[in-house]
Amino acid sequence: MHALMPVSKPVTTRIVPTAVLIVYALLLALGLGLGSTYLILNGDPPFGRLRIGPWTAWPALGSADADPYMRAILAQRGAVPLAIGEGLGFTAVTDSEGRPLDSACTYRVGSVAPTARLWTFSIYDQNGQLPKTELGRSSFTSAEILRDQQDQFTIALSRSLQDGNWLQLPGSGNFSIVLRLYDTPGAAGTGLNESVFPAIRRVECGA
Amino acid sequence: MREFGRFLIATLCGLVLAVGVHIASILATPHLAEHDAFAKIAPTLTAEKAQIISAPGGEDTWMPLPDPAIAVAACAYDLRDGPMRVSTRTGSNLLSFAFHKQSGGVFFAVTDRAAVRGELEIVAMTARQLDEARAAEDENEPSRDVRIVAPEQQGFVIVRVAAPTVSQRFQAEEAAKAVSCITEQED
Repeated sequence: MHALMPVSKPVTTRIVPTAVLIVYALLLALGLGLGSTYLILNGDPPFGRLRIGPWTAWPALGSADADPYMRAILAQRGAVPLAIGEGLGFTAVTDSEGRPLDSACTYRVGSVAPTARLWTFSIYDQNGQLPKTELGRSSFTSAEILRDQQDQFTIALSRSLQDGNWLQLPGSGNFSIVLRLYDTPGAAGTGLNESVFPAIRRVECGA
Repeated sequence: MREFGRFLIATLCGLVLAVGVHIASILATPHLAEHDAFAKIAPTLTAEKAQIISAPGGEDTWMPLPDPAIAVAACAYDLRDGPMRVSTRTGSNLLSFAFHKQSGGVFFAVTDRAAVRGELEIVAMTARQLDEARAAEDENEPSRDVRIVAPEQQGFVIVRVAAPTVSQRFQAEEAAKAVSCITEQED
């Protein structure tokens, strides 16, 4: 009995009650835990990134090996990824020098693309929508693109009319490019390097 | 100092619990998400043909970042009703089937390169249905079906048909709609 007395004494002198600390710990857990989940769900999958120059892909997204983050992100967005056996989609949000793609600028993209049965090149505005422009076109496929005598191509991205393969950029804001390789031997992400991907060169930024 | 120590312990407890909350919420998301792809495709469960979910051109679709050169159709399946036979005639343009689990994730995909005499046909079934099908089979005349075992009873098949040029878009959409998804009744 006597041994217990000194132990119970300091409890009465605590400034912050234990209950407050417990509530603080629980609120901290909920805030940080759910907050970090929210950030993850609205961003890119944190793992399994394949980065080649300005192009980024997540090869595991369309396979049975997708990690829990990928599954959560796909479910939350209602997205249907390309399966490994179908192809692989690469996204670019910056030019080859790492500057964000801005629709006020003019870009030239070329001149090679990885081997695939078909590839498509599409631009999306900052809301992920296909831009509605006067040109009425927001993508090219490997079958319809104009090539030079060396079998190379250049796609011009600009708001104003350009000759050759031209895609009109949306009125304002940033944009992104998605290069989808269908039925490609490199779908698992192997054997791909920067030399087989088109470079994105910024030509000028005007009014 | 003593107060600070208690505060530190509470903070550490909070951080450890936060990790737990984060992991639990990430793992729970595929099961709680109400607007995932399966929920949107589920109304096609009873259809015998794949239904267009993103027509070429990429307009009027719930799919994020639609590819304007691809017609996408889908059919949902529930293997509790029996195995699912997905088949179509292939053309010259790229056509693919991708089998997705209800909780997300692809477990099988095939393109028209695997077609036999212009026919691409896949039967998705559960492990038990596969055993039954094998047991019921005539040894002298084995089935030529390509059978795949689905890890979950529910899921959906995504059909993609390419339209390399704008003029082929209508044709691609028709080809995607022509894919049949038939639930085979168990005897």
